[in-house]
Amino acid sequence: MKLVSRNSLGWLPALVVPAVVVAAVIAVPFQAGATVDLPSKTPEQVLALVNDSTVSAFSGTVEQSADLGLPSLDLSAGMSDSMSKALPESTDGAIPLGMTTALELLSGSHEFRLYVGGESQSRVQIKDHMAERDIVHNGSDVWLYDSSTNAAIHLSLDLEASAQAKSAELKSQLPTDLANPAELAEHFLDELDPSTTVSVGTDARIAGRNVYQLVFTPRTNETLKTDTLVASVSIAVDSATGLPLQVTVLAQGQTAPAVQVGFTAIDFAAPNAGLFDFTPPATATVTEQAMPSPTEGATGDQPGDHSPAADEVPVVTGAGWSTIVEVPAAAMPAEVTDNPLLDQLTTTVDGGRALTTSLVTVFLSNDGRVFTGAVPLAALQAAAE
Amino acid sequence: MTGETQVQGLAIETRGLAKKFGSQTAVNGIDLMVPRGSVFGFLGPNGSGKTTSIRMLLGLSLATSGTISVLGQSMPARLHEVLPHVGALVEGPAFYPFLSGAANLRRLDTADRFAPRGTRRARVQGALERVGLSHAADKKVHAYSLGMKQRLGIANALLLPRELLVLDEPTNGLDPQGTREVRSLVHSLAAEGTTVFVSSHLLAEVEQMCTHAAVMSAGSLVAQGTLAQLRQVGESRVHLRTPDAAGALRVLTHLGLDPVLATSDAADEVVIALLGDTNWQPEAIVTALVAGGVRIRGFAIEEPSLEERFVALTGEGFDVVQ
Amino acid sequence: MSSSEFLPQTQTHTRARVGGWDLLGSEISVLFRRRRTWAMLAAVALIPTLLAVAVRLSSSTLDPGEGPPFLDRVSQNGLFVGFTAMVVAIPLFLPLTIGVVAGDTIAGEASLGTLRYLLVAPTGRVRLLLIKYAGAALFCLVATLTLTVSGALIGAALFPVGPVTLLSGDTISVTESLWRSLLVAAYVTVSLLGLSMIGLFISTLTDVPVGAMAATIVVSVVAQLLDVIPQLDWLHPWLFSHYWLGFADLLRQPLDLGSFGQNAIVQVCYVAVFGALAYSRFVTKDILS
Repeated sequence: MKLVSRNSLGWLPALVVPAVVVAAVIAVPFQAGATVDLPSKTPEQVLALVNDSTVSAFSGTVEQSADLGLPSLDLSAGMSDSMSKALPESTDGAIPLGMTTALELLSGSHEFRLYVGGESQSRVQIKDHMAERDIVHNGSDVWLYDSSTNAAIHLSLDLEASAQAKSAELKSQLPTDLANPAELAEHFLDELDPSTTVSVGTDARIAGRNVYQLVFTPRTNETLKTDTLVASVSIAVDSATGLPLQVTVLAQGQTAPAVQVGFTAIDFAAPNAGLFDFTPPATATVTEQAMPSPTEGATGDQPGDHSPAADEVPVVTGAGWSTIVEVPAAAMPAEVTDNPLLDQLTTTVDGGRALTTSLVTVFLSNDGRVFTGAVPLAALQAAAE
Repeated sequence: MTGETQVQGLAIETRGLAKKFGSQTAVNGIDLMVPRGSVFGFLGPNGSGKTTSIRMLLGLSLATSGTISVLGQSMPARLHEVLPHVGALVEGPAFYPFLSGAANLRRLDTADRFAPRGTRRARVQGALERVGLSHAADKKVHAYSLGMKQRLGIANALLLPRELLVLDEPTNGLDPQGTREVRSLVHSLAAEGTTVFVSSHLLAEVEQMCTHAAVMSAGSLVAQGTLAQLRQVGESRVHLRTPDAAGALRVLTHLGLDPVLATSDAADEVVIALLGDTNWQPEAIVTALVAGGVRIRGFAIEEPSLEERFVALTGEGFDVVQ
Repeated sequence: MSSSEFLPQTQTHTRARVGGWDLLGSEISVLFRRRRTWAMLAAVALIPTLLAVAVRLSSSTLDPGEGPPFLDRVSQNGLFVGFTAMVVAIPLFLPLTIGVVAGDTIAGEASLGTLRYLLVAPTGRVRLLLIKYAGAALFCLVATLTLTVSGALIGAALFPVGPVTLLSGDTISVTESLWRSLLVAAYVTVSLLGLSMIGLFISTLTDVPVGAMAATIVVSVVAQLLDVIPQLDWLHPWLFSHYWLGFADLLRQPLDLGSFGQNAIVQVCYVAVFGALAYSRFVTKDILS
């Protein structure tokens, strides 16, 4: 009857609108990843594109995620908390900030805002829940600011002879490079050696830009067979500027990326210079800190002029993908080895304790040495013998 | 019964109007015909489907089957054209208790897109005056008595000149004085040409107010027409008081009637006989009785009462006023 | 009680459409003439007041990062009172007041019986839904503004006021911080639009306003629960409560409007879906109250 059909017509929007909304929600991301067809390039040409890249200033949003198959555990909270307790007040906060941040990046996903204003100007903003950590580098000044504690650390890079080098070292210590796909990509490109096959993957769209995908695969032929957990590393290169926009590391036997760092939005205009001109808030606790030397910084030692003792220098064995780093017992700070979290994370294995993730294995031998690498546990155990 | 009434002359017309709630039939295919200009009583015991029908007439609920036409337009398809011309009081008054009477009327007036803003205050005041509530205009409704709320509900129906007023149980909760006022209000509205559709379970109210009536019983329409038409369906009868019952029975039977002995009190007995389609004049019956030696202590020809008629139709009694 | 001299016009078959927006004005005036509405707004204003008074009276100062976000900064700068209050009020208190207002929209009229008179007037069911929703949305705005303004006032009354430090460590002037406060209020208002529409839909399902209110509040709690279950992380970005605390992005330098946009998109999706459900339910509903 007429009335009945009117009645059922009334229910039409209740079916149509949710269907349209759901369809749009599903379809829009697909649309963004619609087929991109760029002129074909050889891997060499894409590598050249990266090398010739002249982008020096840009800003963007970076999303970083790690799925290392770690036990579901709030690593970041546990670490930063126990670290701040473990470290005495006198120890300057720069190291914990850098270290906890780096450790934190190994779990879950994070969002950053990245501003690069040239060689010596950059700012990373780690977006935390109702808080933010900033790392501002402007010429000879580096500011670290953590809004949750309202504490700022000022590192002054006195422009001595080695200032440039030190600055570079410092930068490699700071999480800046973990947050910057371009710099992370550089690391991989620096490590290129014969154990790697380079190919160009499917063109894609990242952060609204067309990209070439450089895919690095550990060589698998019999003579050069590499023993690694890494399945492949892909670098998305902006077709117009040559700037790497995303790095994806796939682990063996895992379909989801083990680590992925990439821009979700990028703007090639130079950021407002005022961004790099950081003045700590009047209420913040400001700590002045001299430039720590890289090794000491990494191990948490007091800064000093002396060279590290031989028994503290990490030993590197193997090459390429199957590189193993051995940290001597003396070089491991007690705060790390005594951390109860370590027991939680590691499991007892032959000859010590081990932390196995889909990408990286860490082996703590009973004698206190630490071995790590993107290799299976057996390779580390073999190296320890 | 109103077959001669032309279709365009109907304020309300339904065809096979039915409403089911699940398996229960509340209204069972009624063909209601309310002539324009009438005061139409919609009679029926509580629960006979009156309010459900009114809800469908006003587009509040959707008919399960059947068609509705109000003021010549199809409902609920033309609801927005029809309802501005209809004032309604449905299933008791309902207001915002935290607003004053006047504020309540203004609120409901804004709901009508066709109600001009400029005259709103004047119209509200006028409607309150018309139902005798001016003195309580600024009182919060939660302080109103049931009767005052009822009047306010009627005032709401009168905010604009209407072609049709639908008043569901308008005298509920009113004292006799209020009931009289409503009655005279309905008369004056009808005199202005408004069709008034009044539902009630009170027979007396309908008899005093209405020109037409329809009777609902258990979801069905059992009768409708003018009051006169409804009465005609009933038969006149002889009501005779006499000490000579036996003689009376004999004489009346001889006249072709079918008399029965109704009651017999101490002195007199009462004999009742339906006149049926015999055309006996009262004086002829009396003459025959006297000739037959029947002593007459009381004699009357009784017109049928609506009450009997409706009791017969619905099988239920009506509450009778007073 | 006789003739119709007060009537402005004679009977006509077509009446001009006038005052389509009058009902919106009436709706707003009815909403804000209720004591309940004022009680809820007073309770909303009480949140920053209590926070500020507690900080003022307590002798111990909070360590940085202690307590709810920004609370440790309140004693240094009164303008943080509003932000702290917003963080405190978003998970439960604001949804509670929205639940009451949105849950009451249709069910409240139905329980009073006024719904049938509004519809017979005739209001038009779609128009009534739109106006009811507009009223609820306005309440969202008024509630968040109440929180913001009362926070700024009580903060300024009890504590020093000065340039505000953003999450990024940069400092902005008092004037700009007030603009950002308003932006936060706008963000939170937008955040609550989805829930308001859910409340409106639930309100069309029942004639018992308390039931609709409770159900709306429960929905907001459940959404926030789902948001912390890691196994459902694919769902999280599409929960209407997911970006509720994302207004923190408005306190970064440079201003980050990304989450404002994402939040708005999610809310629009909820408004569309539940608006359609509310429409379908309401236009086919038999009004039996």
